[in-house]
Amino acid sequence: MAAGEPLVIEEVVVDPPKAHEVRIKIVCTSLCHSDVTFWRMKDFPGVFPRIFGHEAFGVVESVGEHVEELAAGDAVVPTFLGQCSQCVDCRSARSNMCTNPRFAVRPGMPRDDTTRFSDGEGNPLHHFLGVSSFSEYTVVDVTQVVRVNPAMPPSKACLLSCGATTGVGAAWKLAKVEPGSSVAIFGLGAVGLAVAEGARICGASKIIGVDLNPEKLELGKEFGVTHFINPKEVGDKPVSQAIIEITEGGADYCFECIGLAALMNDAFQSSREGWGKTIILGVEMHGAPVSLSSREILHGKCVMGSLFGGVKPKQDIPVLADKYLNKELQLDKFITHEVDLENINEAFDLLLQGKSLRCTIWMDKDQ
Amino acid sequence: MEHMNTARPRPIRCKAAVSKAAGQPLEMEEVEVAPPRAHEVRIKILCTSLCHTDLTFWRMKDFPAMYPSILGHEAVGVVESVGDHVEEVAVGDTVVPVFLAQCGECADCLSARSNICSALPPNAATGMPRDGTTRFSLAATGEPVHNFIAVSSFAEYTVVDVAHVVKVGAALPPEKACLLSCGVATGVGAAWKVAAVEAGSTVAVFGLGAVGLAVAQGSKMRGAKRIIGVDLNPDKFDIGKRMGITEFVNPNDSGDKTVSEVIKEMTAGGADYCFECVGSAPVMAEAFRSSRMGWGKTIVLGMDGNAAPISISSIDIMRGRSVVGSLLGGIKPKDDIPVLAQKCLDKELELDEFITHQIGFHEINSAFQLLAQGKSLRCIIWMPGAKEMEENAA
Repeated sequence: MAAGEPLVIEEVVVDPPKAHEVRIKIVCTSLCHSDVTFWRMKDFPGVFPRIFGHEAFGVVESVGEHVEELAAGDAVVPTFLGQCSQCVDCRSARSNMCTNPRFAVRPGMPRDDTTRFSDGEGNPLHHFLGVSSFSEYTVVDVTQVVRVNPAMPPSKACLLSCGATTGVGAAWKLAKVEPGSSVAIFGLGAVGLAVAEGARICGASKIIGVDLNPEKLELGKEFGVTHFINPKEVGDKPVSQAIIEITEGGADYCFECIGLAALMNDAFQSSREGWGKTIILGVEMHGAPVSLSSREILHGKCVMGSLFGGVKPKQDIPVLADKYLNKELQLDKFITHEVDLENINEAFDLLLQGKSLRCTIWMDKDQ
Repeated sequence: MEHMNTARPRPIRCKAAVSKAAGQPLEMEEVEVAPPRAHEVRIKILCTSLCHTDLTFWRMKDFPAMYPSILGHEAVGVVESVGDHVEEVAVGDTVVPVFLAQCGECADCLSARSNICSALPPNAATGMPRDGTTRFSLAATGEPVHNFIAVSSFAEYTVVDVAHVVKVGAALPPEKACLLSCGVATGVGAAWKVAAVEAGSTVAVFGLGAVGLAVAQGSKMRGAKRIIGVDLNPDKFDIGKRMGITEFVNPNDSGDKTVSEVIKEMTAGGADYCFECVGSAPVMAEAFRSSRMGWGKTIVLGMDGNAAPISISSIDIMRGRSVVGSLLGGIKPKDDIPVLAQKCLDKELELDEFITHQIGFHEINSAFQLLAQGKSLRCIIWMPGAKEMEENAA
C-alpha cells in the first residue's frame, strides 16, 4: 500500500485477459529481492498501491484473443522478461532483450499501460513487472508466460521463474564458465547460490563466495562454494585482494548478485587481468552508477550485465526444468521456508533478516 | 656510428631525445647505451613515430612519469647486438619493438583469450622488464636516464627485452612497419580480435586519430556496414571517409543533443560496437551510452591521463551491454604483427594515409606540436642516415 509497509491481504477484482494476454491461477510464488527493492521505493518507478511478486508457478485459467500457444489448464511460469520470438533480439542468439513489448518497470500491462486489477471500490491497483504474482489470479502478457513440464513440482518450477534461472543462466549462458575456472560470487542469496550451482555444473574448480552473513558459509558449502570470504573478517585487506590471492591473480569470472555499485566495483577489481569477466546481475538498489577504473579495464577486463542471466525464457526455462527432472540441476536446497498467502509478510521479514533463501508462498496450502 | 659487432658488445654512444621536465621540449643529448644483458637485444632504430600515449606521459608531472627519460615506443629498427640466451633474432634482423611482451610460455601467452603476458606484465614503471634497471645514461655525467614502457625509441640505439621484440623482415618499408609497433596494430586488432566485428555490423568510433582510423579500417576489412566516426575536428571526415568512415558526428554540431542521442537516433537504438580511441573517461561513458541494448559492446582503447573512472549506468549495463578494454587491441605481438605486415604487403591494409608528416630526428619536438594541435596522424621521425639508406635500397 505504501513504500516499505507490510502488504495487506485484500479482495481484488481481476479483469479478463485482453488480446495477447493470459489469466493465470497462481499456485505458489516466492519473494525475490527485486520485489523488496521496488517495495521500498518511494519515487517512480516505485508506485502504490501495487501487487508485487514476479517469481511464481501457476495454471492457465483463461486466454485472450490471439493466444495460440497456451490453453486453459497448462502448467506455466510467468517471467518478468518476455520472449516474442520475432523481434531482432529474439531472433539473435546474442540477446535476450525482447523489444516486443520492451522490458520496463511500469505500473501497467506492457502493451497498453492499463491495469487489470482493482480493489473492492473499483480503484486501480498497479502491476509489477507485468507479473504481479502475489495474487490468487493475475493477468500476464503471453510473451511472458512459459509452459513447463507438468512433472515439475510447483515450488521448484516457481524458482525457475526468476532467481534460480538468473543465477544458473548467468554461469551457463552468459559467462559460459568452463571446467577448471575460478569464480567469485558477491552475495550468497538465492541468485548468488544459483550462480554457484551453475558454476558447479559447468565444472568450475574454485567457487569463492563473499557474504557478510557468516551463516552463509555452511549453506554455501551445500551449493559447491569452495572458499568463503566475510568482508568483516579480512581485516584491512580489501576483498578483491583476498580473491586475487586465492586465485593467484584474480578470478576468471566475478558475479555481483546483490545490487550495490560499490560491490560491482569490488567484483571488477577481483577479476583476472587478461580475460577476467565481471557479470552484473544485481539490480542496483539506489540506481547508482558503477565506477570502473579506466586504466584497469585496458588490461583485458570485461564487464557485462544482463537481465535474467542472459536466458531466453521460453527456450531456456524448459531446458533447466529438464535438467532438474534428470537430477543434473539441484533446486530443492533453495527452498528454506514455506508460508501461505496470509502470512506473506513473514517472507519479507525472513529475507530482510537474511534468514531465508526462498520462502515459498502457497496460495492454497493444500497444493 | 658503430659497425655491427657480434662479439662481446660494448656500450654505444649516440644521440637521444631526452625528456627532462613535464611538457618541456625534448633535449637532444649524447647518451651511453649499455650492451644488452641476457634476454635483451640492442636495436639500431631506423625510424620512430609519436603516439598520443607518449604525449600523455610527456605531460605527466608525477609517477608513473619519471625524469629524465627517453620516451617513444612505436618504432622499427635493425638488431645491432644480442645478449645471452637470445635465439629468436639475430644481428641484422629487422624488428619492431613493442611495449607489450609475449614470452610465449605463461598462461596468458598460451591462451587465445589474452594478450597480456603475465610473466612480463605491462606496467608503467620504468626499468627493463626483468631487472628494473635502465640501460641509458648521459654520456657527459653518467647520470642514469629512465627508459619508457620497455621500448624507449627516441634514441638512435635502444635496448629491448627479447620478449618485446617482433621480427618483421625487410619487405615492408620502415615507415609502415613502424606503425605496426603500436597505433595501427591497436586499432585493427581491436576490430579483429577484441570486438570480432561481423559483416553487416554498425560501428561507432570515438576519436579519429591514428588508432580510431585504424579501427575504421579494421572494421571495414571485417565487413562492417556502417562506421560512424565521432570527432571535434571536421577535417577528420575527409580522411576518415578514405579509411572507411561512412558517417560523421561532430559533438560541436549536435546542438542540444548528446552524441549518444544522435547515434541512437541514427542507428535505431545504438551501435553494435563502440570504440573509444581518445583516452577520456567521459568519452568512454558516452561511447557506452551509444551502444545498443541486447548485445552492444564498448571497447576502450584510449588511456585516460588522469586515470579517471568511467561512470556506467547500472540500469543500462543490465540490458545486455558490455564494456571491455585492451592494450594493443588484443594483439599478441609476435603472432599477429607479422600477419598485419603481410596484409600490408598484400594491400589488404593500407597504411599510406596514416603518415601525414616525415621529419628528421633533430626536429622531433615539432612532431609533439603537430600531434598536440591535432594536425597530424602519424609523423615519422627518421634517425640520421636511415631515410637515405632506405631510399638507396628502393
